[in-house]
Amino acid sequence: MKVRFWGVRGSIPVPGRSTNRYGGNTSCVEVRPKNAGPIIIDAGTGLRRLGKTLMEEAFKDGKGKASILISHTHWDHVQGLPFFSPMYRAGNEIEIYARQRDMHLEAVFSAQNRAPYFPVPLSAMHADMRFREVLEGTKFEIGGAKISCTRLNHPWIAIAYRVEVDGASVVYCSDTAPFADYLLGREFVTQAPSLDEPLSPETTAELAQMRAGVINLAKNADLLIYDTQFTKEEYRQRPHWGHSHPDDAIAIAREAKVKTLCLFHHAPLRSDDENDKILAQYREVVAAQNDKFDLVSAYEGLEIPLGDQ
Amino acid sequence: MKIRFWGVRGSIPAPGPDTNRYGGNTSCVSVTSDSGGLIIIDMGTGLMHLGNTLMGREFGKGQGKASILLSHTHWDHIQGLGFFAPVFIGGNQFAVWGPGPYGSAEMLEDILEGQMDPNFSPLQTLKNFSATFEVKAAPCGAPFQAEGLTVTCREHPHGATTALAFRIEEGGKSFVYASDVGQPDEGAPPTPEAVEFYRGADVLLHDTTYFPHNQLNRRNRGFSTYEDAAAAAIAAKVKRLVTFHYDQDYTDDDVDALVSACRSWLDAHGGKEIELVPAREGEEITI
Repeated sequence: MKVRFWGVRGSIPVPGRSTNRYGGNTSCVEVRPKNAGPIIIDAGTGLRRLGKTLMEEAFKDGKGKASILISHTHWDHVQGLPFFSPMYRAGNEIEIYARQRDMHLEAVFSAQNRAPYFPVPLSAMHADMRFREVLEGTKFEIGGAKISCTRLNHPWIAIAYRVEVDGASVVYCSDTAPFADYLLGREFVTQAPSLDEPLSPETTAELAQMRAGVINLAKNADLLIYDTQFTKEEYRQRPHWGHSHPDDAIAIAREAKVKTLCLFHHAPLRSDDENDKILAQYREVVAAQNDKFDLVSAYEGLEIPLGDQ
Repeated sequence: MKIRFWGVRGSIPAPGPDTNRYGGNTSCVSVTSDSGGLIIIDMGTGLMHLGNTLMGREFGKGQGKASILLSHTHWDHIQGLGFFAPVFIGGNQFAVWGPGPYGSAEMLEDILEGQMDPNFSPLQTLKNFSATFEVKAAPCGAPFQAEGLTVTCREHPHGATTALAFRIEEGGKSFVYASDVGQPDEGAPPTPEAVEFYRGADVLLHDTTYFPHNQLNRRNRGFSTYEDAAAAAIAAKVKRLVTFHYDQDYTDDDVDALVSACRSWLDAHGGKEIELVPAREGEEITI
């Protein structure tokens, strides 16, 4: 399989000279098995360009088949969907997976794509669209690929996915805060919580369980893609935003014994030069600690071949 | 009056090296009056960068005040709101004037509230803003005052819906913002009512989403070609025409070509006197 990055940014797209090299589009990763249609993870603005590329293949004739795994439905992870050209071609089959919400998934996506927010309703997109609700722990198959998922520490809940196919595995773990300081859920947190206050035993247990779920999901993965929106210092200012930092990602990668760790979901205002610096700094950390995994940082256009080609 | 462009792109932000010169952020324009009053038009992704700039001024101390004029509520015109830093500082005051369906400010507020729904945004609700954020239905026809400027708005056709155009005046100078306007009969001359609204403006910013050949396979989306914009500018005898709301697929070179074709069209149709100013992110014009 091949893993290709189409959008690597968090929160909001950021066009401009300072993001030319890493890219300004929001989250979208394509997992392309050797002999099957694409399994796309998240539908941020990067999905628009992926859609154009797919229209050069079977999707142009309405004979394409794609699956989209959604980590959660915050804007930066779904905004590209109405600009995904294959959706407008009858005959294409598109399955959209996301975690169960209060209202049905199709209603969530319909709300995104209708007046007064968007001129074209979902019902006018002619592809054969199916919405599949999953919960953390659900295991399913797409073609020959095995998919599993686990819960993350993010406001209104996000989930991580593992895709196994062609003798290799990739784990997508975005968006999540570390599993140490604060449990995020449905409550709106108005101010940064103190990181020094002890947690209740229940909260500690729930976070520990969540972390164990992530370690288990990422166990021996060939590639772990991880939310590192913040630096460690930024995280301490905003532990309630539901994003992590490289030190936490490295600890997870080490414990799960992954082969490559990929920094992902870069902060919108992080310039290319700053991203370079973060990568260089943490490559030194990884080398100094004799870690066995490679460290890379996601940029638009990065392609990583894994397993059978 | 000073007009500054923070986002000039249509439909969806278009990052990448090939949009660096014109910019890839969606619609957002600021208008500063001679006495320092601030009007913001549309809340596309450019609004985040305007907000970060404002934070270095009185808005960073919770002493800022601005009016926001909203043409319509499609995503590319509201997506910046949740990333507009000054709304998270108590003491700042914002009034949003937008298209209230059936004249209802409550309905407009519901629409903006829907954007912050917890399924879509970690902010969950507009109530989590710390600044005063008052939503008002912009009255069409009768002029109203905002930040010391006189504003008139007019509803224009925009595909299956409508978008507001704004005329802003101060001391005999006028700026018209007419993005996301598309006559249902594409390619037809501008309507007399639209021409009247643009009449004699010092600056007319007009939707120029497309080349005419691109519009042929994108019918009824509610946008204009550079020819529609140029024809309106000529008919209304405006002094300057600003091109705006470029298609997300156009590279800088494409927009160069669009601007140059617009210049030729103006010259060939009696608009030689009209100055043509392409909107570019970060640039400012003074009236």
